[in-house]
Amino acid sequence: MQFEENIRVALRGLIDHKFRSFLTMLGIIFGVASVIAMLSIGEGAKREAIAKYQDLGVSNIIVRDKDLTVQELEEVRSKFSQGLSLNDANAIKNIVPGVEAVVPQAEKSVEVKFADKASKSTLIGITPEFIEVLNYETGYGKFIDQMQYDRGLKVCVLGAGISKTLFQSREPVGQMVKVEDQWLEVVGVMKSKALFTETVGELASRDLNNDIYIPLSTFHKRFEPENELASELKQLTVKIENSEKLMLAASVVEEIIKRHHYNNPDYSIVIPYELLKQEEKERRIYNILLGAIAAISLVVGGIGIMNIMLATVMERTREIGIRRAIGARKSDIMSQFVTEAVAISITGGIIGVILGVGLSLGITLFTDVTTFIRLYSVFIAFGFSVVVGISFGYLPAKSAANLKPIESIRYE
Amino acid sequence: MGEIEVTALKGVNLQIRKNEYVAIMGPSGSGKSTLMNILGCLDTPTSGEYLFNNVDVSSLNDDELSAMRNREIGFVFQTFNLLPRMSSLHNVELPLMYAGVNKQERKDRAVNALERVGLADRMHHKPSELSGGQRQRVAVARALVTNPGILLADEPTGALDSKTGDEIMALFDELHNEGNTIIVITHEKEIAEYAQRTIFLKDGNIFSDEPNSIRNK
Repeated sequence: MQFEENIRVALRGLIDHKFRSFLTMLGIIFGVASVIAMLSIGEGAKREAIAKYQDLGVSNIIVRDKDLTVQELEEVRSKFSQGLSLNDANAIKNIVPGVEAVVPQAEKSVEVKFADKASKSTLIGITPEFIEVLNYETGYGKFIDQMQYDRGLKVCVLGAGISKTLFQSREPVGQMVKVEDQWLEVVGVMKSKALFTETVGELASRDLNNDIYIPLSTFHKRFEPENELASELKQLTVKIENSEKLMLAASVVEEIIKRHHYNNPDYSIVIPYELLKQEEKERRIYNILLGAIAAISLVVGGIGIMNIMLATVMERTREIGIRRAIGARKSDIMSQFVTEAVAISITGGIIGVILGVGLSLGITLFTDVTTFIRLYSVFIAFGFSVVVGISFGYLPAKSAANLKPIESIRYE
Repeated sequence: MGEIEVTALKGVNLQIRKNEYVAIMGPSGSGKSTLMNILGCLDTPTSGEYLFNNVDVSSLNDDELSAMRNREIGFVFQTFNLLPRMSSLHNVELPLMYAGVNKQERKDRAVNALERVGLADRMHHKPSELSGGQRQRVAVARALVTNPGILLADEPTGALDSKTGDEIMALFDELHNEGNTIIVITHEKEIAEYAQRTIFLKDGNIFSDEPNSIRNK
C-alpha cells in the first residue's frame, strides 16, 4: 500500500518535472549506454579473435618455413638444414604423442589465366586432410580427394576471390585454368573467408581467398620450385587430438624440427590457441579499463541524482512536515525518497539500455568494428544503475527522514 | 552546542477531558505553539509529563509518536497544509495510508469524512482549485478521517475572511456536538468564545483558565 503510494508519488514527481528529471537521468543514461556499448565492443572483438584463431585451428600447431633471402638460404643449407620437408612431417606423425593429422603444404607465387583474364595467386599444394584440419569449407564443387592426390591429377580448387576474378558469374567447376605452363581442371571453389587483416604470430597477413589448391603430389611433379635451394614444404599443420596436450605436443614438435634442421633457425612455430589466450588476456585488461571508465560515468550520474534529491528534499520540506504530522514514520519518508531516487535511476537505466543497444548496433552498422551484446552486460549495466540510485538516494532520503516535523511544517 | 536553551513553558498544569472544547490563547511568545506541539505529539517536554489516555507521551520513541499522531491527533493548520499535487480525496486518504488501512476502506472513509464537512462534490479537485474555506474543510476532513481523540486546530481561521471563518467555527461546533474533543489555539477573542473553556497563557505560565460564560449560558 505504502509502496504503491511511493511509486505513485515518485512517478508523479518525474512527470511533473520532466526536464529536470531528464537532466538528472542523463548521467545514468550515458553511464548505462556506455557500459553496454563498451562491453559489446569488447565482446565483438573477442568473437572476432576467436573466429580468426578458429580459422587456424585451436587444436593445431603450425610449423612454418621461414622466408629467407638467398644468402641466408645458402647459409642454412651449408649447415645441413634442408628446410621444412616431408621427412619432418613423417617424424612428427610417428613420434609426437596424440597427433591426429599432419598436413603438409607447399606454396608458390604464380600467375593464373583463364580465357583473357590473368591474376596473381598463390598455388598451394596440400593433402586431402587439409580442408578438415583447417576447418575450411567448399562453397560448391568438391575439395581434392584421396584418389586425385594419389594419382597426382591436374585438378585444382579455387579460393572464392580468385574464382570471382577469373569467372565472374560463370560456372568455374569443370573449366580449365592455366597456371604457369600447366592446365588444371577446376573441381571446386572454397567458401569465402574473412580477410586475414593482421599478422598472427609469424603468419603474415594475406588474402586466403586468392589461393589455388592442388594436390601436393601434383605440385611436386608438375611445378618447378621457386629456386633450387627452396624447401620442399612451406608449412606443416599438426592437429592434436586432445587440446590439453597441446603444449606438450608443441614442445616435442619443436624438439624434432630443431634436430632435423641441425639447430638452424629456419622455421617458426605458431600455436593459435596460445596466441588466442594471450590476446584474450591483453584484451581483458583493456576491457576492464573501458568498463571502469564507463562505470565512473554511472557514479557521476549517481552524484547527479544525489544532488537533485537533496534539492528536492529542501523544496519539499513542508510536504515532509505535513506527512510526519499526520502520522508518517521516519521510515515511511525514507522509503518514499529512496523510491524516488530509484525511479529516476531505473527510468534512466531503461533509456540507457535502449541507447546502449542502439549505439552498439549503430557501431556495427556504420563502422567496421564488430559488436556483440551479451544479455549479461545489459543486466550488469541496469543493475548497477539501480544500485547507484539506491546508494545515492539514501543520503538525501535520510536527511528528509530526519527533518523535525514541527520545524519542517513551518518551513517556507 | 551553541544553542541557547529557551524555556517556553514553565509550570503548566492542566487537564482536558473527553468532549471538551478548549481554546488556548495568549500573546506571541507566551508558549502557545510549544504547548500545541506537545499536545499534538510533535514534540516531547524536556521535563514533566504528558499523559494521553493514561499513556505517558514523553516516554514514546519517534515511531510511537508518529503512530500517536496518526491515530489520536487530527491537525488543522492556519495555512491548511494540504499536499498541492493531490486531489482532496487523496489528501484525506493519506493518514489512513500511514495507518495501513486497505485501499477500498481508505477511500470509503475518506469520502465519508468529506461528506461530513460538506465537500463530497469536490473530492477530485486539487487544493488549488478550491477556495480557502473549502481547503480548510478538506483539512478538517483529513483531521477527522482517523477518528482521532483530539482535533487540534492552530489558528484555523487565520487565513480566512470572517464569513468563511465563521463557517469553519460552525463546523467545529457541529463536530463538538457529535462528541469530538477540540482544542483551538488562537489569538482572537471571538474565535476563543466558541469554546467552552479558555486557557490564557502568558510567559510560559497559565495566566487564567476559565469556563466561557457566553458559551455556557
